[in-house]
Amino acid sequence: MRRQRASLRRRHRVRRSRVFLGFLIALGFVLSGAVGAVAYFMPAIVTAFQDTGHAIDRNSTTAQASASASAAASASAAASAPAVEAPPGQPFTVLLLGSDNDAKFGGTILTQSMILARVNPKTRQVVMESIPRDLWVPLSSGGSAKIDAAYLHGGASAAVATVEEDFHIHVDHYAWIGLLGLVNLIDQVGGIDVVATNPVMDDFYPKDLTGKDPYAFERVAVLPGPQHMSGLQALMYVRSRHGDLRSDFGRSQRQQQVLLALRAKAKLLGIADLPDIATAMSNDFSTDMSISEIASLLPIASSVQLQNVRQVILASPYSTPFVVGNQDALQPNWNLILPLTHRYFPAV
Amino acid sequence: MRRALTVILLLALMAGFGLGVNRLIASRKHNIPTESSVFIPSATRPKIVLPGTLYLAQNGDIYRLSDGFFTDLHLSTASGSWMQPAYVPNSQDIVAVLRAAEYSNLYLLNSQGAIIRRLSNNANVHLDTVYLNHWMFYPHMGADGKTLYFSYDQPKNSGSYAVDFSVWSGTLSGKLAAAQLTNSNPFTGGDVAPTPMANGAIIYSKYAIGSGNAFSQIALQVKPLGRAIILTTPAQDCGQPAPSPDGTKVAMICIDGTGLQSTRLEIASLSAGKLGTPQTLVNNCLCSAPVWAPDGSGLVYYNTADATGHFELWWIKGALSAAPSPPLQVTTKLDFDASSPPSWSPLSSVPVMAR
Repeated sequence: MRRQRASLRRRHRVRRSRVFLGFLIALGFVLSGAVGAVAYFMPAIVTAFQDTGHAIDRNSTTAQASASASAAASASAAASAPAVEAPPGQPFTVLLLGSDNDAKFGGTILTQSMILARVNPKTRQVVMESIPRDLWVPLSSGGSAKIDAAYLHGGASAAVATVEEDFHIHVDHYAWIGLLGLVNLIDQVGGIDVVATNPVMDDFYPKDLTGKDPYAFERVAVLPGPQHMSGLQALMYVRSRHGDLRSDFGRSQRQQQVLLALRAKAKLLGIADLPDIATAMSNDFSTDMSISEIASLLPIASSVQLQNVRQVILASPYSTPFVVGNQDALQPNWNLILPLTHRYFPAV
Repeated sequence: MRRALTVILLLALMAGFGLGVNRLIASRKHNIPTESSVFIPSATRPKIVLPGTLYLAQNGDIYRLSDGFFTDLHLSTASGSWMQPAYVPNSQDIVAVLRAAEYSNLYLLNSQGAIIRRLSNNANVHLDTVYLNHWMFYPHMGADGKTLYFSYDQPKNSGSYAVDFSVWSGTLSGKLAAAQLTNSNPFTGGDVAPTPMANGAIIYSKYAIGSGNAFSQIALQVKPLGRAIILTTPAQDCGQPAPSPDGTKVAMICIDGTGLQSTRLEIASLSAGKLGTPQTLVNNCLCSAPVWAPDGSGLVYYNTADATGHFELWWIKGALSAAPSPPLQVTTKLDFDASSPPSWSPLSSVPVMAR
């Protein structure tokens, strides 16, 4: 009887140890699979930590000298209100910022491109409004300057706050990309197909990405019509402005075109492409969105039809050239800009 | 010992499993074609045999398509990219553009790709004055086989940022930039893609800017530096005109206003300096560079085959007729330079010489 019981216990122990061993082996496989997956997504994970999830700091960037500008004063209440993020599936607003980030201006980083985008995930409609870089506005950090200087005085948070205050809207998210980041992103997706609106000619295009002298110029000639562009060619197309009668407005239109061309390429991308894209844009990209939010935007971007994209450029009569100090700038006509903006971006 | 071997085997299996998971995810990557994943034309066969000889550019080299075969001219890309070939009538020579970083020159080449001579010298020797370089593009020979028409970024005002193309003409054997034919609109990009017509007029794309938008209009230049006859409206935004061999119709590329990211291939009748109502042959495409067959039996153009981009050659048979055939994709997995219109010579069977 005792021997029987001992044998039963032994068998029970053996079975338990076999189950435990099986569990250990299964766990080993699961862990090894997880290590394989983590190793694959490592660049995206590093990027997620470094470049994404940078929350917009609305408190430190609201108007400190708003008394000098009545427009800023009236709008500061809106910007200092607690930020309410759009619930999932609801329309949201993203401020897209593009700038160079090299050291040729002694660390000064101005945004060469500011595009407000309103995305409606349900109706798959997108509105893109380009804000001219020379628009003379009250800055959230105090005083007035060209809006491209907002980023200089407090980074993306200051740029967001300035736009919120001046345009009386709420910005849910921002995404900043440097010149090299844009070039690498376009190359990573195999280039883009663009219908060049006209010959884009420039004898004084900055040769600051490819040459040794950051102050050197190079010649640019982008021929008109449909064509496949590499990252550098696309950058020339969106950055050149000297040979265009519309100057920055022509450039704004071309920047929106390139975004639409990138949207077409988003159709071909999936979650497994994120590590390569993250590596390509590493250190040249930052956003307050998490990597999962960015991933959730891919299917939206790919399903937006061209006819559901509205493009807004704030050329005359929305802005008028004028000289302030010794700078050429654009005087905003807020009486026209605000109603137009609030047609697509809810006023706050 | 057996137990140790089992543990080692299990560890190896686990490592293999981890690697397998890694590769499985990697295999889910979307294969977006890059420059390295397209074929060179001479490694492929077109789906149909087109009459005459077509010259086309891809990745800085020029290819000849004749009798259903592509031939690589093997042009050296050491000093730039070759593009925009133009056949010389009654000859087997071609004129082509060699585009360097800051300038471009026109060259006369024989049918095997050997340089006969450089026709222009647009390179400036002073490195600190890049704006003294010049661009020449869109060469097109006149029917006499001697006169050459092209776009040239002259005249240029050194005190201005304006760099615009005008249409010029010259001769292969004499002065190349002998006569300026058009006055371009400043700060628009100017006048491009000239094609001489049988009546002596030049048809081309004239760029302008109005209401905040850049647009192209088809223009006719009858007299050098005279007033251009504008054939299309700004709203149509049409360019890249290709007159049919009999001169009765013009194929053109018009940009759709929505997002400025798609085009239409249209044809319209041309009579007494006026274009008739256009007929759309292909809508909502990235169509570019239409060129008529020398016998008028149809036309070729570039378009992308799918969302991955890369421009293939397409053919529309009977484009002059009231009921043209549907477009047929002639090439696959190629990536032609869409800003280099094909040049279509009526001559075929270019003699093959040992290189």
